[in-house]
Amino acid sequence: MTTVAARSSSILTEPEYRIEGRDKVTGAARYAADVAMPGMLHAAFVTSPFPHARIVSVDASAARAVSGVRAVITGADTRPARFGRRLQDWPVLCWERVLFIGDRVAAVAADTPAIADEAARLVVVEYEELPAILDSAAALAEGAPILHPDSATYAYAGGARPERSHQNIQGHGVREHGDVEAGFRAAHRVYEHTFVVPRVHQAYLEPRASLVWLDGERVRVVTTNKAPFALREHMSASLGIPEARIVVDAGHIGGDFGGKGLTPDEFALYHLARATGRPVRSVMRFADDVQGTNTRHAATITLRTAVDRDGRILAHTSRVVFDGGAYAAGKPVATLMPGDAMLTLAGYRLPAARVEATTVYTNQVPAGHSRAPGQPQNSFAAESHMDLIARDLGIDPLDLRERNVVRSGDIDITGSAWHGTDGHVLLARLRAASRYDVRRKQTDETDGTGLGVALGVRHVGRGRASTVLRLENGTLELHTGVSDQGGGAHTLFQRIVASELGVPLDRVRVVREATDAVPSDPGVGGSRVTPVQGSAALDAARKLKARLTEVGGSLDGDHRLEVTGEASQEGHESSMYGYVLEAAVDVETGVVKVGRATLVADVGTVINPVALRGQLEGGFVFGLGQALMEELLMEDGRVTNPNLGDYKLPTIADAPPLDIELITEHPGPGPFGAKSVGELANPAVGPAVANAVEDASGARVMTMPVTAEKVWAALSARR
Amino acid sequence: MSTHRLRFKLNGADRDLEVPADRLLIDLLREDCGATGTKLGCGIGVCGACSVLVDGELVSACLVPAVFVDATAIVTVEGLARDGALTPLQDSFIREGGFQCGICTPGQLIAATALLGEHPRPTRDEVRSWMMGNICRCTGYYGIERAIDRAAGAR
Repeated sequence: MTTVAARSSSILTEPEYRIEGRDKVTGAARYAADVAMPGMLHAAFVTSPFPHARIVSVDASAARAVSGVRAVITGADTRPARFGRRLQDWPVLCWERVLFIGDRVAAVAADTPAIADEAARLVVVEYEELPAILDSAAALAEGAPILHPDSATYAYAGGARPERSHQNIQGHGVREHGDVEAGFRAAHRVYEHTFVVPRVHQAYLEPRASLVWLDGERVRVVTTNKAPFALREHMSASLGIPEARIVVDAGHIGGDFGGKGLTPDEFALYHLARATGRPVRSVMRFADDVQGTNTRHAATITLRTAVDRDGRILAHTSRVVFDGGAYAAGKPVATLMPGDAMLTLAGYRLPAARVEATTVYTNQVPAGHSRAPGQPQNSFAAESHMDLIARDLGIDPLDLRERNVVRSGDIDITGSAWHGTDGHVLLARLRAASRYDVRRKQTDETDGTGLGVALGVRHVGRGRASTVLRLENGTLELHTGVSDQGGGAHTLFQRIVASELGVPLDRVRVVREATDAVPSDPGVGGSRVTPVQGSAALDAARKLKARLTEVGGSLDGDHRLEVTGEASQEGHESSMYGYVLEAAVDVETGVVKVGRATLVADVGTVINPVALRGQLEGGFVFGLGQALMEELLMEDGRVTNPNLGDYKLPTIADAPPLDIELITEHPGPGPFGAKSVGELANPAVGPAVANAVEDASGARVMTMPVTAEKVWAALSARR
Repeated sequence: MSTHRLRFKLNGADRDLEVPADRLLIDLLREDCGATGTKLGCGIGVCGACSVLVDGELVSACLVPAVFVDATAIVTVEGLARDGALTPLQDSFIREGGFQCGICTPGQLIAATALLGEHPRPTRDEVRSWMMGNICRCTGYYGIERAIDRAAGAR
């Protein structure tokens, strides 16, 4: 049960009805695994059972002899090809060393999936085990094995790779502003806390699937990759095929949550398709995905903050170490760190700060992007840290945040002036909407219930996009390369174009096409769809209006017009959101029950009210999973809970009552003043839960997830 | 491996197929019948994405051997709408945000159809207890609950 309150209504009064809704409720919607071709073969992979080992020999003769096997390829066939979104450090198939359990050594194409699996089991690989790096602290220790001794030869897209002080570093950043030393010298108190956040998986339910075949000179790819143009670029770079010869077709994406910008299968499938002359498909099992693709980064985060007598922050330093796993290939950003790796105390006025973040190589599953990359980790640390400071100073946690929250022009963790939500407005709305002052008096340790507060910040998406709008005899068609991952992109475009042109929604068709038919698109990610791709749709509608004026025609006339809408958002606008969340703790068992939650979010103008609400509600429960139950349990480099029986996700019974209040009166840079919401709601749920648990029971949990075992242990330590 | 001849009804249409003994129902539907509306999720009977009705009973198609469906009538998501008209539940899922990416939706709809068959006006607890076996990673479930409530009211 949720409620939503908004002070202004949608720009369109017409109810939202998903363009692809009918297809999705009738089973007609096509996902990559639904596509089959005549004569299609099925792929299976041979993977390393060791976290770090040298490949001594590979013998595929027994596998090749199996009836129905059409090709077996090994690293010897694909070397030296590596792939990656920014740094190409991940071998298509390994030929020299394997760097994690799940690293691929050989690939099979066979008539059926069962034959392919059987043949993969018959490939004999002799390994010589090597010492493994299993945690990020070990990566930079003296004498640590160097995992990528040849990294200087790896391709890095977009200029020179930033300098590193150690070869086991993937990416590193330091940023400083103000007089940090002076801030600490003047402090009334200095607080230092260390937090640990484990690996989690994005846990989309759609299996990763891809299908590759050769069509004359062309390489055709059907995939779950949510950034088809980027995949085309990566395949071209890795396989040495011109981009124009590669056609990538991504249909509906069955959940992404940041993970499907990287797909490891297509590269080897290309080799198998070439070897056999037939289409080859791979549909990954959930467990193989968990052990073999890219997870969210585990992190160890140390925050140190100096405050004055009133709790005002004078200076802040932080050190974050992310476990990047065996390859950096999943990270698209130039720093080779999770996107917001360096926002350790976001949303607060910081006169001086020094932030240092590092991503290191280990012999673990590679880590890549996941909904709001870097933020759940940093938000858990920062918002727990703020609560610990408030408690120690005897200041109410919401009051402490009010004293420090950013307002327009304040210098924040980035060292630049804040452009975005007025923090006082956000917190005042959160206080009122949650009836904080009344409930604060009603909940405390004596009845085992408590309130947790957490603040969150997210930039509005940036980048470039273009889209084509055609008018032909009164019919409007928007052609886009955006594959919808569930956020409602196509419905958004329809509503924008219809609204701008003043026509009924059903007059605007949205046609998604493969990479050979539409202008290049950056893909779904980085909170980009509404502000950037949405702005391109708006630009297209405006250009069409201008063209009609030029030719003196109308939308209903006998015209054939085509315009290309373009958008570029390079602004640094941010949005803010906050939670007040109630939790009850059973002090005998440590079991946490989350009660009513209030979310106030600055969303700007609402274009798709149903989808927007869904993103916020879904983001909340997504965050609740990481807060309470999700953790990939690692043992010597192996994920020991790689399936949804053991890796628990929230179910309908775990979703507590949620009240949402939208701040819509401060327009953002997107179309009609819209902002982004896809990654706005999930990061701060973790600390809101941890803070509510301490408020309810006195137990402070410094690591995610906040499980009954940890709460019980913390309670026991206090007794 | 031995093969078995299966005769069953899929969404009202007669099917007659010869399949290997180890065929799973999900592969029978998706690969042999081309009915790809039913989705593979976790593959171990936990997530509910592959929920179908076999003689009215709610089952996970990724767990059931295909040979078990001989002489049964199966309903999948493709069989819910009649002559192009969506059921109240299907329509409510669209209007109330009962899905986003849509991958779990066929299973959610099948499970919810079974729920409304059993409890035409389910209480909140009945909805939450019945739908617990169908994971949705996108919606946070609130839209699914609203959709079921709306459809129950429309009946």
